[in-house]
Amino acid sequence: MIIAQNVSKRYGKFLANDNISLEARPGELTVLLGPNGAGKSTLIKAICGLLRFEGRISVGGHDNLSIPAKRILGYVPEFPALYPLLTIYEHLEFIAKAYGLTAWEQHADELLNLFELSDKTQKLGKELSKGMQQKVSVCCALLPKPMAIILDEPLVGLDPHGIRQLKWIMRGLKSSGCALLVSTHMIESIEDDWDATYILNAGRVAALCRYEELPEEESLENIYFSITDGGGRI
Amino acid sequence: MSALIYIIRKSFKNGFKEVLKKPSKLIMYILIFVIIFAMVYESIFSPYSGAYLPFFWLTGALFLLITLFLCYSVSAATSEGRAIFDMNDVNLLFVSPVNPRKILLYGIIKMIRMAFLAGFFILFQSSTLASFGIGFGGVLLVLMGFMLSMALFSILSLMIYSLTNGRTRRKRIAKLLTALLFLPLVLYAVFCFSQTQDVMALVETLVNSPFLTFIPVAGWTAAGATALLTGAVGTGAIYFGANLLLGAALVVYIMLSNPDYYEDVLVATETAYERKRAMADGNMNAAAAIGAGKATRIAKTGIPYFGAAALFGKHMREVFRKSRLGFISLTSVIIMVCAVTAAVLLGDITMVMMILMWMQIMLIGTSQGLRELYMHYIYMIPETSFKKIIWNNMEIVIKVLTESVLIFGVSGMILRLNILDILTYILVYALFSFVLTGINYLFMRFTGADISAGMLIMIYYIATMLIMAPGVILAIVLAGLWGQSAALVALAAWELAAGLVCFALSSGVLHNCDMPVVKKVN
Repeated sequence: MIIAQNVSKRYGKFLANDNISLEARPGELTVLLGPNGAGKSTLIKAICGLLRFEGRISVGGHDNLSIPAKRILGYVPEFPALYPLLTIYEHLEFIAKAYGLTAWEQHADELLNLFELSDKTQKLGKELSKGMQQKVSVCCALLPKPMAIILDEPLVGLDPHGIRQLKWIMRGLKSSGCALLVSTHMIESIEDDWDATYILNAGRVAALCRYEELPEEESLENIYFSITDGGGRI
Repeated sequence: MSALIYIIRKSFKNGFKEVLKKPSKLIMYILIFVIIFAMVYESIFSPYSGAYLPFFWLTGALFLLITLFLCYSVSAATSEGRAIFDMNDVNLLFVSPVNPRKILLYGIIKMIRMAFLAGFFILFQSSTLASFGIGFGGVLLVLMGFMLSMALFSILSLMIYSLTNGRTRRKRIAKLLTALLFLPLVLYAVFCFSQTQDVMALVETLVNSPFLTFIPVAGWTAAGATALLTGAVGTGAIYFGANLLLGAALVVYIMLSNPDYYEDVLVATETAYERKRAMADGNMNAAAAIGAGKATRIAKTGIPYFGAAALFGKHMREVFRKSRLGFISLTSVIIMVCAVTAAVLLGDITMVMMILMWMQIMLIGTSQGLRELYMHYIYMIPETSFKKIIWNNMEIVIKVLTESVLIFGVSGMILRLNILDILTYILVYALFSFVLTGINYLFMRFTGADISAGMLIMIYYIATMLIMAPGVILAIVLAGLWGQSAALVALAAWELAAGLVCFALSSGVLHNCDMPVVKKVN
């Protein structure tokens, strides 16, 4: 669903992404794992069309900058970005109108219920805690029912209940055929839900692990530390 | 105490090293220094040739400027307070066994340093001050008076905050007392105006009256600077001495009465820190909302319009929540009233329009449309870049058109200009915002996310001047040949052409750019 081919991104002299190729398949949870500064967020922003890059990225077979690609892609940024003067419900209404959604209200109510926001729909963005902002941000990304969704460090800032709900939603999305691309630097947060993990280090893909191919005695944690501690690649 | 001196010394040293390491910052500082030096040099070696302006204008302007800062200080002190410490001070110093009084002194020194830096803009006014017959020494004197006032306000702000924090009644009293300081001056102004009905004479009378000169800090500084500049050293020393005494008394009072001030400064520090973080994360909207304080009234809800037009619908909802007047904010109202007053007093709209255009360069960034570019939604909405740009800027178009119709319509009617001249003024001013918006998109198209805010602002100013230069030159030439109306029409035509070229060159920008991020300036 999401295919990145030879993607590079440079900030002046600094090469944040160095010739990265990646695929996030439908019905799979693909993880971008790496230490701080590995280039995960840069790659995600490039996929979402928020940064210029060298290489090629497609979403659902469409160029990632095209309108059809934007229509099927959802994005939850690392830092929840809400409009301070819009209510929670208006955030969803804005997304619905901007994406030209019809009969979206029931889905919006379901999402709000799921994240326990139903009684706070008239609260303004500026009145929300970090965790609540993150929940609204997730609701906005899910409202258009995207076929591919990208979540940048989605569990940071959520309370235990929110984490459980989001993990449950991610499993649901996966089983519905949605392609999930999740970035994280916390190995324990992805548990056994992942299908493919790209370990990024210093702007490069240091390893690709597929869950079904991982030897029983080997753990993702061991692979990760063997790369990031030793600076090598597998 | 040695730890505090160490921090101050190290911060200064590392700040200096950082400037040397970053060429863009270094260039910016050198450029500022060169501009200041050129202005000071010009004021010393190119004496003002025209007739000197009446001195009371300077006293009045200085008084107004300092009064504005006084009002801001009281307002900040009665809301979340002014941030005199950084979050690292709170996390490291407040929990350390260093005496809180010494830490407070350290905070006050930091504030005074900031006040000194803030005052350097006075040097930019060297040529204006020269028109009052003031040389370089006089400029430094005005600068000193201004910096002294700023330092005093920082201390005053802290004291008011510590006395009123969490006490609504005391906050009201603090505001009332501040207003009462100015009441005699206002009553005297009303009385004088009813007698003479001459604005110029009124200003002169007020500036020389004790009702102004006796107002603490603002009146003292204005009168003190005037006295020193006109050779009355004794009187000047008394006024400046009063300021110093007040400052010393406030510091002594704070240090003796309230050593347990940590809680008082915490909210302001945290608010400032949150704002900085939001800015660094590129969340401009959140940064603007942090610490905004007053509750927002929610009347109507919902987002009208579909597709890219939903952006405009959202902006409408936001602007009406910010201000009950919608597209016209309180700042706009103040600017409009000042502009119309200045145009009527001076009898010249062109000069007022030029000043407004300079201000517009700075204020254009506050539009909803340009703020929208710092969030991801606009880039991800499945509509064409062209449609999104059109609807994203509809708010600023309506806002600038409304403002220009009101400013130039009202002042033009008072000055009895013909309708065509009024229309050309409206056109020139409104189209300038079109050019500025176009330049912004052009910047997004051709600059990356790795450019610093300081560098960006500097290039932006230079680019604006370069793009406007041919139009301005053409207007000056035509003004000499066919008069002012032809010049204004030519300038408007140039703005339209330049704006269109900027937008054409930045076509498809929203689907082919780096989302801008505000990089830390400090």
